[in-house]
Amino acid sequence: MNFYKMGKTFLRGGIHMRNDGKSRTSGKPIERFVPKEVTVPLAQHLGPACIATVKRKDKVIRGDRIGEAPEGGVPIHAPVSGVVKRVALQPHPILVEAEAVVIETDSTVADPVWEETSDWKNLSKEEMILRIRSAGIVGLGGATFPTYRKLQLPPGVSVDTLIINGAECEPYLTSDHRLMLEKPNEVIQGALLLGKILEVQKILIGIEDNKPDVIEILKKFSSVEIGVCNTRYPQGSEKQLIEALTGRVVPPRKLPMHVGVMVQNVATAAACFEAISLRKPLLDRIITLSGSGIVDPKNLLVPIGTLVSDLIECCGGIYKDTVKVVAGGPMMGRALGRLDVPIIKGTGGLIFLRGREARSEIYGPCISCGSCLDACPLGLEPNQISIFTEAGRALETEMYGTKECFECGCCAAVCPAERPLVQFIQMSKMAFQTGTALGLAVRPGVTHGR
Amino acid sequence: MADEKATWMLSPGPHLRIGMTTRQIMWWVTASLTPATLWAAFVFGWKVFVLTASGIFGALLGEWMVTKLRKQENRLGDGSAVLTGLLLVGTISPGVPFWLPAAGSFMAIVFAKMLFGGLGYNIFNPALIGRAFLTATFPVAMTTTWQAPFTALTHATPLNTLKLGGELFSNYWNLFLGLRAGSMGEVSVLLILLGGLVLVFKKIIRLYIPVSVIAGCFAVSLFSGEPVFHLLTGGLWFGAFYMATDYVTAPMMPKAQMIFGFCIGILTGIIRLWGGYPEGICYAILIMNAVTPALNHWFRPKRPVTEGAPS
Repeated sequence: MNFYKMGKTFLRGGIHMRNDGKSRTSGKPIERFVPKEVTVPLAQHLGPACIATVKRKDKVIRGDRIGEAPEGGVPIHAPVSGVVKRVALQPHPILVEAEAVVIETDSTVADPVWEETSDWKNLSKEEMILRIRSAGIVGLGGATFPTYRKLQLPPGVSVDTLIINGAECEPYLTSDHRLMLEKPNEVIQGALLLGKILEVQKILIGIEDNKPDVIEILKKFSSVEIGVCNTRYPQGSEKQLIEALTGRVVPPRKLPMHVGVMVQNVATAAACFEAISLRKPLLDRIITLSGSGIVDPKNLLVPIGTLVSDLIECCGGIYKDTVKVVAGGPMMGRALGRLDVPIIKGTGGLIFLRGREARSEIYGPCISCGSCLDACPLGLEPNQISIFTEAGRALETEMYGTKECFECGCCAAVCPAERPLVQFIQMSKMAFQTGTALGLAVRPGVTHGR
Repeated sequence: MADEKATWMLSPGPHLRIGMTTRQIMWWVTASLTPATLWAAFVFGWKVFVLTASGIFGALLGEWMVTKLRKQENRLGDGSAVLTGLLLVGTISPGVPFWLPAAGSFMAIVFAKMLFGGLGYNIFNPALIGRAFLTATFPVAMTTTWQAPFTALTHATPLNTLKLGGELFSNYWNLFLGLRAGSMGEVSVLLILLGGLVLVFKKIIRLYIPVSVIAGCFAVSLFSGEPVFHLLTGGLWFGAFYMATDYVTAPMMPKAQMIFGFCIGILTGIIRLWGGYPEGICYAILIMNAVTPALNHWFRPKRPVTEGAPS
């Protein structure tokens, strides 16, 4: 058990990285970058994908709707002004391939300016939610759940506390940090609007204590309370942050609203403010390009749909011995198989890892050291799950917590045998879905030499 | 820029790791044993090096042979075989013939480790099985060749003397520093303690097991009226810090570790005071190794449970 000096934190597990790699980009102001061409996938969030409303050779202005969503989804907008080159299957960072609108940027067209609407301070709850939906806002922390749906509480459920998640516990990522530093007003205003929609009594902003500059700035706003947390991964996970700031424990398979709390990411809050006050859709996102593999790490504000390869060029290229490209944070992000994929609404970072920095692909047997038991924030037993799954007995792992795991990766990060514990857990979850356990024939660890 | 032919490493998160690998842990434990081994060489002469080399050789040979026969990937580089050899040498007398440690560690690796499935799958501590095997098969060499410090003369260990009704060797400082007859790794309590603290500092082991082993032995030896003597003799410290803390054969949760350690201490004391052997830590640990799976099962991490979910 670790003992921490100050600040709030969740009660069990978690890991602390002495070198979290944030110093590479935490001091770098957000820069704007617009590529020559964007590829905007029609499926960018949880829920149904959009249907394209534009066709080849159509002229679009930044902010135009280019994809209409069925009930349960959110629309997608043109992030740049220009001409639609094609609407076709394109590489996708998660779905491998998916339909996307490719727009060639016309840099001669000036970006439209969104004027403050006169009525935004007096809107009803429903009108605000409608504006959030039409702006295409989804959870920007990475989950990409449509925000308007999260805000519509089922009948009989109410929340009294809104937590704005600025913990940014993933190593390397600094996009939320820079956002809070450079646009604190938007974040706070967004938080207040969300609080108004939910009719909460208390708004808390959760920040890890590795961002003292942000804490200093946000303290000036008296309308919200700052919850300083320890720097400890996964502090920014919904349930862990709720436990740290309110002491309430969300039971397994329950949602935060069941204990009267809602968590929204800082970038989501800022986007909601722009959506409600300016009617500005979600067009750009802040992304951290970091890791030892990139020549010039940066925080960039880029149109959604910018290709990873263009971003790499903007950051001076990558070193030759880069072996892995991760979309998202290094703990929970996805490794990319190719670089001509676009960033989507939920991509908070691109991490380029060189050989020694990336986790090994070769793993050994479990030596029962118990490190994963100490690291798991939920008290699950990744060691047992991995051993059972390896032996083709994945269906017997439920008692060790397979279904509760949210795949934060603490266990695998500390495993001395470098066992891919998260992958074993994913395999056993899959076994529960299909009803059949895969045996040793399918071993985790796909290596593609470079 | 992006070379189109490039293929990228694909795997799920996490993409970073922290802390030591199995290999680093094994080599750190090996390194932390070096002062005690060097002290043994200083006290008992250069043949300690020969015996150590012999023990390590036997362990490596055993592991290499089994992996070769079973057409497995050889994992000699992870240091676990070297460590088993070194630990076994630490538990035997410096007066044994040079081939004896090799025979013991070979049997330890083959029967107690590789036949159970190799690293991570063994139930009993391989080094201690090796010692038990040697005690059973070469009892004379194992129990009558103890040497007095700085001489090649045979000399009973303090615990032997006690068992045979002799006078207590009660210069505690000599016992603490390691100026006494005994096994090669165990004589200097000071150096074992230093090595053990290095492991604690490097977060390789936690203090739950060693402290409870020593507490358990102390509690039982109160019956003898000479608790301090019992604390400073035999392989208690070596067993507490290096044998009982073996990840594979010890339980994982703190409470289970405390029970495990305390029972080892109590069993050690009982064997010493009322058993047939002068020293009992080897068998105490082996007995508790057998209880480890049960302890792991009884003491599992607790987590909040929702109605109806299995736990």
